[in-house]
Amino acid sequence: MSELLAVSNLAVRFGGLVAVRDASFRIASGEIRGLIGPNGAGKTTVINAITGTVRASGEVLLDGRSIGGLAPHLISRCGIARTFQHVEPFDTLSVLDNILLGVGRHAPVPFAHAALATPLARSREREATREALDVLERFDLLPFRDARAADLPFGVQKRMDLARALAAKPKLLLMDEPTSGMSESEADRAIAAARELASSHRMTLLVVEHNMRVMMALADTVTVMQNGSVIAEGAPAAIQRNPVVVDAYLGEEAADAVD
Amino acid sequence: MRGLAPLLAVGVILLALAASRLGTYPVYLMSLAMINIIAAIGLNLLTGNSGQISLCHSSFIAIGAYGSALMTARFAIPFWLSIPAGAALSALIGALLGAPASRLRGIYLAVATLGFLQIVQIVIEEFADVTGGVRGLTIPKAEFLGVRVSDYGRFLIVLGCCAFAIWTARNLLASRVGRELDAVRLSPHAAQALGVSVRRVRLGAFALAAAYAGLAGGLLAIVVGFIDPVEFGVSASLRQITFIVVGGMGSVGGAVLGAAVLSALPEVLRPVKEYSDVIYTLILLAFLILMPHGLITVWRGAMRRLRLPATGAVAEARR
Repeated sequence: MSELLAVSNLAVRFGGLVAVRDASFRIASGEIRGLIGPNGAGKTTVINAITGTVRASGEVLLDGRSIGGLAPHLISRCGIARTFQHVEPFDTLSVLDNILLGVGRHAPVPFAHAALATPLARSREREATREALDVLERFDLLPFRDARAADLPFGVQKRMDLARALAAKPKLLLMDEPTSGMSESEADRAIAAARELASSHRMTLLVVEHNMRVMMALADTVTVMQNGSVIAEGAPAAIQRNPVVVDAYLGEEAADAVD
Repeated sequence: MRGLAPLLAVGVILLALAASRLGTYPVYLMSLAMINIIAAIGLNLLTGNSGQISLCHSSFIAIGAYGSALMTARFAIPFWLSIPAGAALSALIGALLGAPASRLRGIYLAVATLGFLQIVQIVIEEFADVTGGVRGLTIPKAEFLGVRVSDYGRFLIVLGCCAFAIWTARNLLASRVGRELDAVRLSPHAAQALGVSVRRVRLGAFALAAAYAGLAGGLLAIVVGFIDPVEFGVSASLRQITFIVVGGMGSVGGAVLGAAVLSALPEVLRPVKEYSDVIYTLILLAFLILMPHGLITVWRGAMRRLRLPATGAVAEARR
């Protein structure tokens, strides 16, 4: 498998606080990678550094191209999408409009065409809407298409957040705690959907998750962080038995729970 | 926006017919109301949609008014060319202001735009040789192919421009442009994660708002026939903000409703003219407290009650 993302010597400082130090890892194309660690380990900061929303030193390569230091919207256009730990819906827009913002970045409508509603603008809008409706259908969101995003229950907002990120057809999807706040059955459905995505769309996932049950069911490989550094990496089962990880994060019960 | 164009066409015809039977003064007042509508549409895109406050919207009306009037007076450029050119000039200056202003938020943006308003006032007053300064500027009568345009003709021009402004703004809001404006206001983080350049959208909103204001200014010049800097001061900007708050932020309908309703106000307030700023401020406060989403909510509420399926699904998922 070819390599999609290569992060080398990533470091992020907030004033005197070192949030991430010297983190390096590589993700193969099509892989589902888990990123775990105790609170404050720097997991979300790693995601923010990859997406360009915090300044970081070190190197980030996507498909061999350096994306470090690019503006967030340009990194997004390179094919990296993300979901948010605390969902970030566009509150007063409809669910359909939320998804439409993910769709159609590839075929922008020239401003004058949009203002005059030319045939070109209208056909682009129809295409985008069709694509967005497909996404809504795949995520069971069709009944909500005209509802305001703010009016949705949290679980549905989570689903919309994911659907919106995927509507952009990214190569790499960064998921920040995708199942937090979900019920067990919702989490299972989300795992199944994520697995389906990775296999059928050859999408690569980097998933930050606290729920070890979810992680074991989902990830191909798990990277463990503590105090801003990567302390272990390996297959989920091996990670659960790794004494360093058990000591730092999981505790004895979690390790026992696997057996 | 299926259905909007025919509706607008009917509205234009009805207004044109009505105006042909009215006296000069009511027709003049209708023209002023429509000019307010055009400017308010622009401000609503900037403030209501992209979420940026502006206290200098009246300066862009001034730039359109002085720009087009001076092009006609000095270079004999006919009004039908100088008015769009004035709007383009206003958009350009809007972009120049937007470049630094789009980095600012909230109170800082308010102060920066207020500063810009003062600069424009000072430029108009100090370059009196060109602008007429505080004594004002008399606008050459609008002529088309050597024939003077009648009062009714000027009304029709304003009416056409107003319909054009409503139509283009609705088109923009129904397109990706409008969604990006809203996205940047609602969650800049999520917007940039979806590939939206937040800075570019914010800057574009300034240019766009200035273009509508510039068009309104050019029309104001030919309709009133005389402009002076006092008309484009803080009070005028405050009036524009009141229009969109009263009508409803973030929708073209809101801008139209607010500007149309409140444009009648100066006539009503004529006996207490000195207090008009106070009255505008009281109206602004009353709406902010009692009806923060504006008059348009009355209409929206009725529409939402008709859209039961979607609300039903949400209610069910909540259970």
